[in-house]
Amino acid sequence: MPGIDAEIKELIATIIEKDASQIDPEARFIEDLGVDSMMALEFLAAIEKKYKIVIPEERLPEFITLNATIKISKEYLDNKK
Amino acid sequence: MMNSLNIEEIYKILPQRFPFVMIDRVTELEPRKKVVAVKNVSYNEEFFSGHFPNNPVMPGVLIIEAMAQASIILFCSGKDTCADKKLIYYLGAVKARFMHPVVPGDQLIITVEPLKIIARAAIVKAKVQVLDKEVASAEISLVAK
Repeated sequence: MPGIDAEIKELIATIIEKDASQIDPEARFIEDLGVDSMMALEFLAAIEKKYKIVIPEERLPEFITLNATIKISKEYLDNKK
Repeated sequence: MMNSLNIEEIYKILPQRFPFVMIDRVTELEPRKKVVAVKNVSYNEEFFSGHFPNNPVMPGVLIIEAMAQASIILFCSGKDTCADKKLIYYLGAVKARFMHPVVPGDQLIITVEPLKIIARAAIVKAKVQVLDKEVASAEISLVAK
């Protein structure tokens, strides 16, 4: 799925008001990027809306880094196909 | 399913009290899907004396508060535990637009629909109309603790 990584990175960058180039895919949202739990929920809502998928809220604590978020999102995108 | 709530029923849901209850009635309630609420704006509102002298305009932050309180009702709808738990609600983020001033005599019709609701938080979109004219809108994130 080319492009999805960049799209999710862009979505998250917009929410946390940083330039996408500043986000290290392995940086921890809370500790390194100043993200709070509400922002993480915004990531989830934005990803669900963009890809018309539903990610259960139980997965929210796993949104720890950009890479983790992309990986979880792709699971549900794969299920959709 | 359509429902309405009077002020006594609203008081069971909202933790806010006088002079900070910004919802007078709920005219439509589809649990977890949609809330339509009414706030009547009277010249007697205290804030009008200072905002602004001789030019009464309802402060935008209070319009946000009205949308946030309607959001709490949406969040609590379909859950019978909200009132008992004495939850306090915090705003996480607000993206708002104000299109027209709200003045004494206006009746705010506040419509709130969810973008995402989870156990302890919600993101909703809200709009406020006066006589079918949209005067404000917002995307609101709230957390219940």
